[in-house]
Amino acid sequence: MSTPHVKSTAAEWFARARSGDTDPAREQSWLEWIDDEGHQQAYEKCELAWELSGELRRSPAIVALLAAAPTARAKWRVPAWPVGLAASLLAVGVFGWRILGPPTSTQYSTGIGEQRTVALADGSTVFLNTDSDVRVQLSRRVRRVELARGEALFSVSHDPGRPFEVHALQGVTTAIGTQFDVELTRGGAAISVLEGTVTVGGSGNAAALPPVAVSAGNGVGYSQEGAVSQLRPAEVNRIQGWRTQRMIFNDIPLDAALAEYNRYSRRPIVLSNPALGSRHINGVFHIGDEAAFLSALDQGLHLKADKGDVQTVLEPTPGYEQ
Amino acid sequence: MKPETTQLSAGMAQSAYPPDIDGPDAAVPIPADASHRSYVTMLFNRHRVSLQRYLMRLVSPDDAAELVQESYYRLLRHGEMLKIDAMARSFLFQTATNLARDLYRRRASHRAALHVPIEDEEIIEDHLGPDEHLAGEQTRRLLERAIADLPEDTRTVFLLHRFRDLTYPQIAQIMRLSGRTVARKMAEAIERLSAAMSEAT
Repeated sequence: MSTPHVKSTAAEWFARARSGDTDPAREQSWLEWIDDEGHQQAYEKCELAWELSGELRRSPAIVALLAAAPTARAKWRVPAWPVGLAASLLAVGVFGWRILGPPTSTQYSTGIGEQRTVALADGSTVFLNTDSDVRVQLSRRVRRVELARGEALFSVSHDPGRPFEVHALQGVTTAIGTQFDVELTRGGAAISVLEGTVTVGGSGNAAALPPVAVSAGNGVGYSQEGAVSQLRPAEVNRIQGWRTQRMIFNDIPLDAALAEYNRYSRRPIVLSNPALGSRHINGVFHIGDEAAFLSALDQGLHLKADKGDVQTVLEPTPGYEQ
Repeated sequence: MKPETTQLSAGMAQSAYPPDIDGPDAAVPIPADASHRSYVTMLFNRHRVSLQRYLMRLVSPDDAAELVQESYYRLLRHGEMLKIDAMARSFLFQTATNLARDLYRRRASHRAALHVPIEDEEIIEDHLGPDEHLAGEQTRRLLERAIADLPEDTRTVFLLHRFRDLTYPQIAQIMRLSGRTVARKMAEAIERLSAAMSEAT
């Protein structure tokens, strides 16, 4: 049991951690303070209270309290809302908060090998592929998604008054109602449109470039800096593959297939000799079924797997080195 | 004070770690040649026991062990390195809590649909159902009451920071308080909420 003094000190440290205070002198005393079992336990309780209170975001009691809290917007909103209107907004409670309150963003993510389907309040659906991270912000004028990592397929419910924007790196893909996939790749982002039409353009510094319209069956890429490429065919097979937990390799070089496989696996598969990467591979594989994949490589490409703790190395079977 | 501190997990880091830290009283002593991984590992090891114990309040011990590991990977991969140890710890605990919440929702949605057709998938609503909260009903009620019982200014500071994601300087401006007062009121709020939760268990 912590003493009252330890508890209030823990709370002070907790509040300080959220303040942006970067004073090096205090940093040293923090490191000394936290290096104590009892202090750690008191601090954990602060963390628990903070994190679990976040679950109350939509609780009617909290929504009502928040509605009564002052906002910064009142300062520049001209004319100010009539008192009567403000009062009636209070009365509508949750509804009023959801429509008029500042949008809060919700984060959804997946680990390596994990996939996930998220139904959004506007009727749209986000399918998250392996090792991905999106933040969703639904407001009255815009539906904004930020793809921070990985890949997601968006099935967007039709709403002409509220465009659906996917921001990734220095680019933005905008739709009104359609289905499209955005993947962060090594050099930028790749967009494939499955239904309807989207526009793809640079954002931030790259916003000066005119956006490109991309219709169903087509795709584009853009660079880290937001420079949009020529139109190309959408990666329909690959996307339908991952949506059904399959990798579809249609006569592609082995190194490309392994790059795709490794997105879903904690233990990557590597080649003992890079030259082996030019062998071609065909087939449909279940994501996560390492045994079936390795056995196909053995039988089809004569590559034996040497499983280590951190990676699996493929070596040619004797007699099949070339 | 920096305005972006409440968004510890937001965005992707653009710069590689370690950042430029020099002088003997740099925030966290990092050897100049330390790699990103060894920095994260050091930081993680300092808080590992605490994190594990924290997670065991939220999920089973087996799950906790797994989430500790996953949190470490996230910290490594995320790359958003914070040279202030307590901020990095906040990020770590927030990540772990999100992971625990995901796990909880996944389990809840699987329980809810024991005989789903093969094509049916996990659906996470924007609004959470009563069974999909990380905090149980009793904890939520306790916290709700503890928040309502806070002195008015303290409660306002807490609400604006927790639910509107405002920074201390922003809150200070809106409420016409000093930054130090905002921090003090946040500390008071947290102390009271954590005390309320301790009474429950």
